[in-house]
Amino acid sequence: MLRYVLRRLGQIVITLFVFLTLVYFLLEAQPGDYAQTFLSNPKLTKEQREALKAQFGLDRPLWERYLRYMGSLLKGNLGISFEHYPRSVVSVIAERAPRTILLFLTAQILSFLLGFSAGKVLAWRRGQAFEYVLTIGGVTLYTVFTPWFGLMMIWIFAYILHLFPVGKFVTPTLWRGAPVDANYVFIRILLSAFVASLALFLVLLATRRLNLALRRGLRGAGVLIILAGLLAYWLPSGITRYALDILYHLILPVMTLTLINFAGMMLLTRNSMLETMREDFVMAARAKGLPEGVIRDKHVARNAMLPVITSFIFSIAFVLDGGVITETVFSWPGMGLTLLEAAVAQDIPMVMGGLVFTGTLALLGHLVADITYAYLDPRIRYT
Amino acid sequence: MAESILKIENFTMHYMTKAGEVSAVDNVSLEIRKGESLGLVGESGCGKTSLAISIMKLLPENAVIKGGHIYFDGTDLVPLSEDEMRRFRWRRISMIFQAAMNSLNPVYRVSDQIIEAMETHFGNIDYSEAREKVANLFRLVGLDPKFMDQYPHEYSGGMRQRAVIAMALACEPDLIIADEPTTALDVIVQDNILRELKALQEKLGTTMIYISHDIAVIAEVSHRIGIMYAGKLVELADAEEIFHHPIHPYTAGLMSAFPSIIGPKRELVTIPGEPPDLLNPPSGCRFHPRCQYATEVCREKEPEFKDYGSGHMASCWNPLEG
Amino acid sequence: MEEKTKVITKPKVEVILEEEERKRLKEMPLWRVRLYLTWREIRNNWSLFSENKIGLVGLGIIIFYAIMAIAHPILMKWVWDPNIYDPIVGYSYDEVLQPAPPSFRHLLGTDPLGRDVLSQLMYSTRSEFALGILAAIITVTIGTTVGAVAAYFGGIIDTLLMRLADLIIMLPFVTILIVLSALFKMNLIILAIVIGILSGFGGTGIVIKSQALTIKVRAYIEAAKVSGGSNWHIIFRHIIPNLMPLSFLYMMFSVTSAIFSEAVLSFFGLLNIRMSWGLMIHTAQTAGYLLNPKTWWLIVPAGLSITLLCSAFYLVGRALDEIVNPRLRKR
Repeated sequence: MLRYVLRRLGQIVITLFVFLTLVYFLLEAQPGDYAQTFLSNPKLTKEQREALKAQFGLDRPLWERYLRYMGSLLKGNLGISFEHYPRSVVSVIAERAPRTILLFLTAQILSFLLGFSAGKVLAWRRGQAFEYVLTIGGVTLYTVFTPWFGLMMIWIFAYILHLFPVGKFVTPTLWRGAPVDANYVFIRILLSAFVASLALFLVLLATRRLNLALRRGLRGAGVLIILAGLLAYWLPSGITRYALDILYHLILPVMTLTLINFAGMMLLTRNSMLETMREDFVMAARAKGLPEGVIRDKHVARNAMLPVITSFIFSIAFVLDGGVITETVFSWPGMGLTLLEAAVAQDIPMVMGGLVFTGTLALLGHLVADITYAYLDPRIRYT
Repeated sequence: MAESILKIENFTMHYMTKAGEVSAVDNVSLEIRKGESLGLVGESGCGKTSLAISIMKLLPENAVIKGGHIYFDGTDLVPLSEDEMRRFRWRRISMIFQAAMNSLNPVYRVSDQIIEAMETHFGNIDYSEAREKVANLFRLVGLDPKFMDQYPHEYSGGMRQRAVIAMALACEPDLIIADEPTTALDVIVQDNILRELKALQEKLGTTMIYISHDIAVIAEVSHRIGIMYAGKLVELADAEEIFHHPIHPYTAGLMSAFPSIIGPKRELVTIPGEPPDLLNPPSGCRFHPRCQYATEVCREKEPEFKDYGSGHMASCWNPLEG
Repeated sequence: MEEKTKVITKPKVEVILEEEERKRLKEMPLWRVRLYLTWREIRNNWSLFSENKIGLVGLGIIIFYAIMAIAHPILMKWVWDPNIYDPIVGYSYDEVLQPAPPSFRHLLGTDPLGRDVLSQLMYSTRSEFALGILAAIITVTIGTTVGAVAAYFGGIIDTLLMRLADLIIMLPFVTILIVLSALFKMNLIILAIVIGILSGFGGTGIVIKSQALTIKVRAYIEAAKVSGGSNWHIIFRHIIPNLMPLSFLYMMFSVTSAIFSEAVLSFFGLLNIRMSWGLMIHTAQTAGYLLNPKTWWLIVPAGLSITLLCSAFYLVGRALDEIVNPRLRKR
């Protein structure tokens, strides 16, 4: 297993490198001299212009420019943004990235969980009309025009039902005079979610080999302890209402993004379950006298899950795309919206920075999903 | 005489398909005594597997039991609900499936799958004790316990077969049904496994039902042999009797269709025609269209399944002499 | 039981015929035979296709929009006054307040610039179709060639092509298009070409390659090789014709993807075009009417049309999938 992980890691690093090289040549391929674009920003002082020129080797031959560019990338320098001058691209990304990551992760995981459970139930109980409706519904959600769907969501839930805010990611009045900035809270939310998930995973892993009663008892206790830990961290921290405000503004965008993506997963799960149910080992599981629930979850679903995870891997790119659209419609200031605004304003360093960020995130997501798949399917660890 | 552990009385089961009702098992009656091994032989589609899965009531959704009883150790299994059947499955009756390769779940370790069966029927068991048991089972079937924690795809075909046998023995059942346990293996492994199965059976005193289309295989391992044709049990007798004094023409046909490596070369006598369509089985005796001894009555009435002396049963209007 | 015989025609596509048909065909000249066989295939496939209600719904929607596209120039020439109804420069001075809600004169109302929404909708249909089909043709041409070449030659060519495809599908498509539109000015044709190239070298190639692998090992390929066929001859005259059904299927999905991507980009205002459905929504946004449910006619017809046309091609694709991939057929 470890060998597989290392191998995949190596492959992803190479792919990342190829990607960054392609990004650079894209930059070069622009009509006109990109060097001029960088330098033509009237807000730059003469010294900064010279510094940039030297840093990016803008007056040097191609291969040298490429090497310098890659070098600065590795050092974490993506240039200075035109629009957000004088902030560096990296600082802008650092500010916006946690928000996009939170949105992306939440939507991705939710759409998988929702899609998978729905598909599982759908496959286990058959019914003609039911399936027809869900197929049509699924296809509609799959092909609906995302911005339009987002707008419909806003119209229905924000305007008509007044359930959720219309947009933006925080309520400005609430935050006036707040001791911390939004990013601080975002990062705390991300971290506590990550730690909680990790703890949960470890609990599940550790209790695998115990006998039935002990297993259930310990897992229940584990969940309670984790919950208690979360409360213990958040309640006395004083920033809870800010976190809740953020979560409140997050609900509608997450709902939109999740709904669009879960349909594909649901239909695929259903088909996969139906095919898996015909396998011999399912009959063997029945013969062993296992209860229905165990057969459905431990045997059928566990195997049916595999092609769904594969499609999950491909859906990462779609969720990232959907995220850009969702952020725009909801005026939610994450990396997606930033990238778009930069594109409209022709802020080339920011655009390239956004591309690098998104691409790296996509590749990382891929790596994690690949490893998860290898964990779930022992047969793949030998390829 | 040992008591009977399985008694099937006039059991009939049909499959409801889009094309119609398929008469898969028709009015089958047989009895097996404790510790005995019964071999069921027949062509593909003759109903032997259907009968086997009926005993464990592992029937698919479109299967309907039309009548009869299956008495296992005194209890009639036919009217039992799924929940009630689960207590019998694996714990009292277990099964070795055809193409056992695929009856192991590919994503779990083999040891975990065997322990799962034990856990279900023996309740709260200590994990390390369970592992001990699995190790013992492995040794019993001729597998090295060091392979215990591997995944099914890491095993060879023969190993997987043995693992499945070990799994079938896990809950110490009274009856094991082995459905073509060696068909998917090459001849040498087949031979080994058969020998070991027979030895195991004698050692543990488990009752066995072997199902195969290969009469040579059946002859090796069974005390009694039952011949099935088109959903009906046409002959049932001790192994010796079947071979030397077959009563039903189909049985005789099976014997002569079997070439002998030693002995004089003779022409292979095959049984003409094809097995009937069970959607619309032939009237009277189902074998009559292919039988060279068929007479009027064979076409009109179904022959009774009766005893021809010392437990040799057959259903035929024109039984063979000698 | 009737006897069926296989007839192998050039290019090597397998067809199964009945006894009588075969006798009849023996009498005909070769070109007529091919024509007949093609017609038979189309007829069979149509009956398979029409079994599936979903595919028919999709086809219906496509035809509906096609009629819209054709109807627009007719309406403009003979029914509507171009000064009022021109989708780009028209102005409706009958209404006092723009954008005006739907009325008899303007069935779907007018946009913030006083232009008739229905006219805009119908006018854009033409470019949507053009974009979709152009992008799809490019995607499928490249994808089929990539798939066939990768499958046939194997080795390093295969690895390179597949690695490239892996990279492309890992990255978010729309994001890349956004970046490209910032660096280069894009109009519909350039967009179609870009989408075509990206999709062609991406996922489509992978799927077609697996199909091509199954064709590569068939007996007639061996026969062609042995009788001295050159590599390119085999690829173009034997492998690719057998990939056609799958390619045609993927064209449907490419159209969906292309129309969707174009709509998103024009919604963002990144495209250099005069009128499209996405642009209609963008116009509503820049004029500040995006979030207002009262001016629904600015958003709903365009958004709905994009959704409908995308789903239509997707549904047709799904229905075709059942023909091309017999395993999916309902029994």
